[in-house]
Amino acid sequence: MYSIEAKSLTKSFGDLIAVNDVSFSVEKGEIFGFLGPNGAGKSTTMMIFTTLLKPTSGNAVIAGFDVMKDAKHVRENIGFVQQETTVDEYLTGRENLLLQAKLNHIPKNEINKRIDEVLDLIELSDKQDQAVVTYSGGMRKRLDIAGGLLHHPKVLFLDEPTVGLDIQTRRKIWEYIKKIHIEFEMTIFVTTHYMEEADNLCDRIGIIDGGKIQVIDSPQNMKNALGNEIISLVVENNNNNDSFLAELKKIEFIKKINQDDSKLTLFTSNGTEVIPKIFQISSELGIKIITISLTQPTLDDVFISYTGHEIRDDKSKFNRKIEHAKMKRLRA
Amino acid sequence: MNSVMYDTYTIFWRELKRYKKSRSGVLIRLIQPAIWIIVVGNIFSETQPLIQSVGFEGEYIEFMAPGVIILTAIFTSIFGGVNTLWDRRYGFMNKALTSPISRSAIALGKMSAISLIAALQASLIIGIALAIGVTFPNPLMIIPIMGIVILFSLGFSGISVTLAATAKSQETFWGMINLLGMPLFMLSPALFPLELLPNWLAVVAKLNPVTYTVLLVRELMTGVSEGGVPILISIAVIFAFVVAMVAIASYVFTREVNKPF
Ligand SMILES: Nc1ncnc2c1ncn2[C@@H]1O[C@H](COP(=O)(O)OP(=O)(O)OP(=O)(O)O)[C@@H](O)[C@H]1O
Ligand SMILES: [Mg+2]
Repeated sequence: MYSIEAKSLTKSFGDLIAVNDVSFSVEKGEIFGFLGPNGAGKSTTMMIFTTLLKPTSGNAVIAGFDVMKDAKHVRENIGFVQQETTVDEYLTGRENLLLQAKLNHIPKNEINKRIDEVLDLIELSDKQDQAVVTYSGGMRKRLDIAGGLLHHPKVLFLDEPTVGLDIQTRRKIWEYIKKIHIEFEMTIFVTTHYMEEADNLCDRIGIIDGGKIQVIDSPQNMKNALGNEIISLVVENNNNNDSFLAELKKIEFIKKINQDDSKLTLFTSNGTEVIPKIFQISSELGIKIITISLTQPTLDDVFISYTGHEIRDDKSKFNRKIEHAKMKRLRA
Repeated sequence: MNSVMYDTYTIFWRELKRYKKSRSGVLIRLIQPAIWIIVVGNIFSETQPLIQSVGFEGEYIEFMAPGVIILTAIFTSIFGGVNTLWDRRYGFMNKALTSPISRSAIALGKMSAISLIAALQASLIIGIALAIGVTFPNPLMIIPIMGIVILFSLGFSGISVTLAATAKSQETFWGMINLLGMPLFMLSPALFPLELLPNWLAVVAKLNPVTYTVLLVRELMTGVSEGGVPILISIAVIFAFVVAMVAIASYVFTREVNKPF
């Protein structure tokens, strides 16, 4: 049985088509990642799933209930942790959870037990009676997530649960998510624009860009489809560089070489066998290798291969690249 | 039905918790009515002959104290809905909307909390009035007076929630509140007897639910009936006003929160 089914979902805001004919399904118990850059339509899709927005056309079925016709039953079966932190600063941590428990009709005699349980899980028991104003950003986010799963929903929606947090806290939150996933057997639908997060957390990933689903698969399959390993090396500038390059190209496993001054990127397979050969060639030609590394293709590479651009639409970074290219052209 | 009541109480509880944590707000909201009763009450003390002409024997300040109690109720409750805007902006609303509680329970919970808070503020003003020498011929009357203030504030909280649900920005909300609050207060016998208003204004005042509330509270407080409106009529008008406002607020709120903010 599916926990989430999107059927040709479309949502437009005036002229803007935020979600464009999106169809996919998520199986019960899966952690499904929705990956895409800013403005891709992730939150909009999630708001349709959580009954906050009505689709312009198409439909969605959550935990077996139609979001349009049976919104109330959908709401009884979901937890939703929004992109922005929404805990109430005036209330204490415990009061926030109590509010969440009441909103979600947890039976009275269960409430305290559940709250203790979840406070323990997010390691905030000792701070539970302090006002949330005194919490750090990471603590607030943990409390927010705790509120979403307090009532053990069948499907938990997490909209960018770790955005803006430091890497340590981010990893911790992944751990929590994995833990609750196992403990309560929830289906988890999580949006993110962190590749690492999607890679670490998700059974399957859907890449969305410009409101359209580009691909859906497991992170490993996606990377395998790209096939190659990547060897990056930096060499000392030398007159023999051209012949070095020519010799490298003769190695059978190497498929493509990108050169950027003294930095070489080799797309290859059987990387561990290729590296000794590189050293052999370099010593024959008297070329000094400064650094060398062997990496697996990342989801970043996957993302670029499906969308034609990088996920982070960091303008300054982008411009620097253009500037860099310009400078190169000038120099040539 | 049971669950609507439980859900209404959940929201009511949350609103009161927030109110309790903002103690400074309690005092700030008392400043304006306190100034009214102390300053205006004394400035106009010379107008005693005017109010005597309509059969009111006491001091002016005793005449206008009920008006200031209602002023407090009006403004506390008509401002009260503003956190609807914050809730939509900061995500609490979406949290409530994706939980199984009904939309009207959210509106009802907010309104009942606002009306109780308004009544609490009004009771503080009664305290100030007593402290500066206003007397109650029958102190037990405080109980029905508080009942009326709670009821009346519920109606105004309905206005507030309706406006807050339709307003897209704080500015619009504050604008509409100011447009409504002051005229409704001024076009009532809160500060001067109805009999002293020009005819056409008196007609307008008779369409204003604030008028009936002021008359009723004043009659309970001082024992002087004024304007020739029987108590039962006043009670009926207040009830009708409250039922209408609560119904409109629930309807409008439910309709508006289903649209993207
Ligand atoms: N209420 C709205 N009115 C008009 N346009 C909207 C509205 N909500 C979203 N949009 C637009 O829809 C598109 C998708 O927005 P959405 O919030 O779904 O993106 P996202 O993938 O969640 O991005 P982010 O990573 O920045 O959170 C954007 O272009 C956004 O400007
Ligand atoms: Mg988003």
